[in-house]
Amino acid sequence: MPISIGYISRETANNLWRNRLMAIAAILTVGVSLSLVGTALLLRQAVNNSLNALQANVDLQIFMNPDTTSTSAATATVRSLAEQTPQVKKCNYLNHQQSYANAVALFRAQGEEEAIAALTVASTPPVFQCTLVQAGDAATVATLFNGQPGVFKVEYPAKSIHTLESISKVAQIVLLVLALVLLVSSVVLILNAIRMAIFSRRREVGVMRLVGATAWFIRLPFMMEGLVQGVIGAAIAVGMVVLGDFGIGALLHHFPEFQKAVVPSHDVLVTELFVVFVGIVVGVGGSAVAVRRFLDV
Amino acid sequence: MAAEPAGPAELPAGLADPAFGNERRMIRFDNVTKKYKGDVVALRDVSLEITKGEFVFVVGASGSGKTTLLKLLLREESIDAGQIWVAGREVGRLSNWRVPYLRRNLGCVFQDFRLLPNKTVFDNVGFALQVIGRPRSVITSQVPQVLELVGLGQKGARYPHELSGGEQQRVAIARAFVNRPLILLADEPTGNLDPTTSLGIVSLLDRINRTGTTVVMATHDSSIVDQMRRRVIEIDHGRIIRDQARGIYGIDPSPSTTRGVPAVSLASGNATTMEPPARGERRSRTRH
Repeated sequence: MPISIGYISRETANNLWRNRLMAIAAILTVGVSLSLVGTALLLRQAVNNSLNALQANVDLQIFMNPDTTSTSAATATVRSLAEQTPQVKKCNYLNHQQSYANAVALFRAQGEEEAIAALTVASTPPVFQCTLVQAGDAATVATLFNGQPGVFKVEYPAKSIHTLESISKVAQIVLLVLALVLLVSSVVLILNAIRMAIFSRRREVGVMRLVGATAWFIRLPFMMEGLVQGVIGAAIAVGMVVLGDFGIGALLHHFPEFQKAVVPSHDVLVTELFVVFVGIVVGVGGSAVAVRRFLDV
Repeated sequence: MAAEPAGPAELPAGLADPAFGNERRMIRFDNVTKKYKGDVVALRDVSLEITKGEFVFVVGASGSGKTTLLKLLLREESIDAGQIWVAGREVGRLSNWRVPYLRRNLGCVFQDFRLLPNKTVFDNVGFALQVIGRPRSVITSQVPQVLELVGLGQKGARYPHELSGGEQQRVAIARAFVNRPLILLADEPTGNLDPTTSLGIVSLLDRINRTGTTVVMATHDSSIVDQMRRRVIEIDHGRIIRDQARGIYGIDPSPSTTRGVPAVSLASGNATTMEPPARGERRSRTRH
């Protein structure tokens, strides 16, 4: 049996208007909880991206004594040791000149002009910048090179990465737990809104049953009401996430070292689609429970 | 009957759903027993048969099982034993999704009218077509016809609270009949109305009955039953204690009283009672 779209949308709009306070409460809760979901997801992506950026550059730096050169025996030993170590993917040797240029660029990016002034080509240690097969092996590999002749010191960013990772994990868990609690309450709010709509329309429903309206014809406007609440809530959340992303992007612009943390717009879009999907699930889920429990057809 | 509106005569009953065929036996109960929770027996081993075009009064004290009988026809309730057929279909064996299609063949009228207060008379009647997916064009052509039939042709734009009780019940009848059901069920339709208005309602049901629609009316109203002289089924404590072709409200000591005889044998004898007696007198009293 064809169900007129005009009829459904009219009934849904009427229901929403009659129960507007409940509808607004439900929509706002969906909006806030989905904003948290979106934020948590984007935060995770931002952290992952910055970790990847750190890890992709260099996993391990072997600083040689400033008195060694590219032709020193010590340099050759370290190079061959690196080539023989299976955990090391590849190493890039920077001589005094290149290492100096690299250090100047780094200090300049951080705005430490005095450090640049103190730096000379001769005093800058040549360095092997190595990427590893697995960044987690950095500590093991470091012990291999520490104490080798001509090695000044071995550095790896593993420790700071670990700190960053654990902080972001805690933040994500807190956000997701909050979001989950709010999502549950938005399902309950939608359920209650639909229950009240069913109650206020019980006369109509009684007549509809009597004259032989099909079960789905009676149910659909109520289901649509839940769907609309979920989708409007999700739209609010998408707006919040876009605004937040915009704001954070603008903020990060002032901190070049965090540029890599910016989430590409493609990933933001995927996150937003996910948020809309969750909104639909929450809306339809809440109204489906209400219709099952409270609507006799 | 020159005053008879032409509407329903052009449209035979039973258009609602061709799947429910033109069975001559409209309603049949075979040893039906219905219990409610707590072992209250509402109907006990009831058998009866109502043929197409009959007008049947179901009488009995409050709580005797009249309303239960009507509810079972609509499958508002399930039965505990026996079988019920409506228009050739066994009601108990219909799958749930077919129940709405069963109900499209059964118009219903109640004591409390059950109109929607926020809809006009036209929309109340049109609602019954709208919610079974009939297109707008059908609504705009059928509703005025049926409003004309019930004598409310000029009042389509009114709201239920602007109408008298009798007029409200006419709207309810229009809503029940607009889809041309095979059967019209009326549960105490005159229970809230004064005697004169009640007669008007029953004469309207009678007019609908003469279009071929089977009418089953549960009632307490002895004067109406006595005047109409139609088939009377009396229920007492869930049992049929009387099934009489041209009955009156109370127990009639005449030979046609058939206490305890299976109802099936009576149904065929009913064809002769289609014309109610004293119609002229009743009509003169209802036209005002």
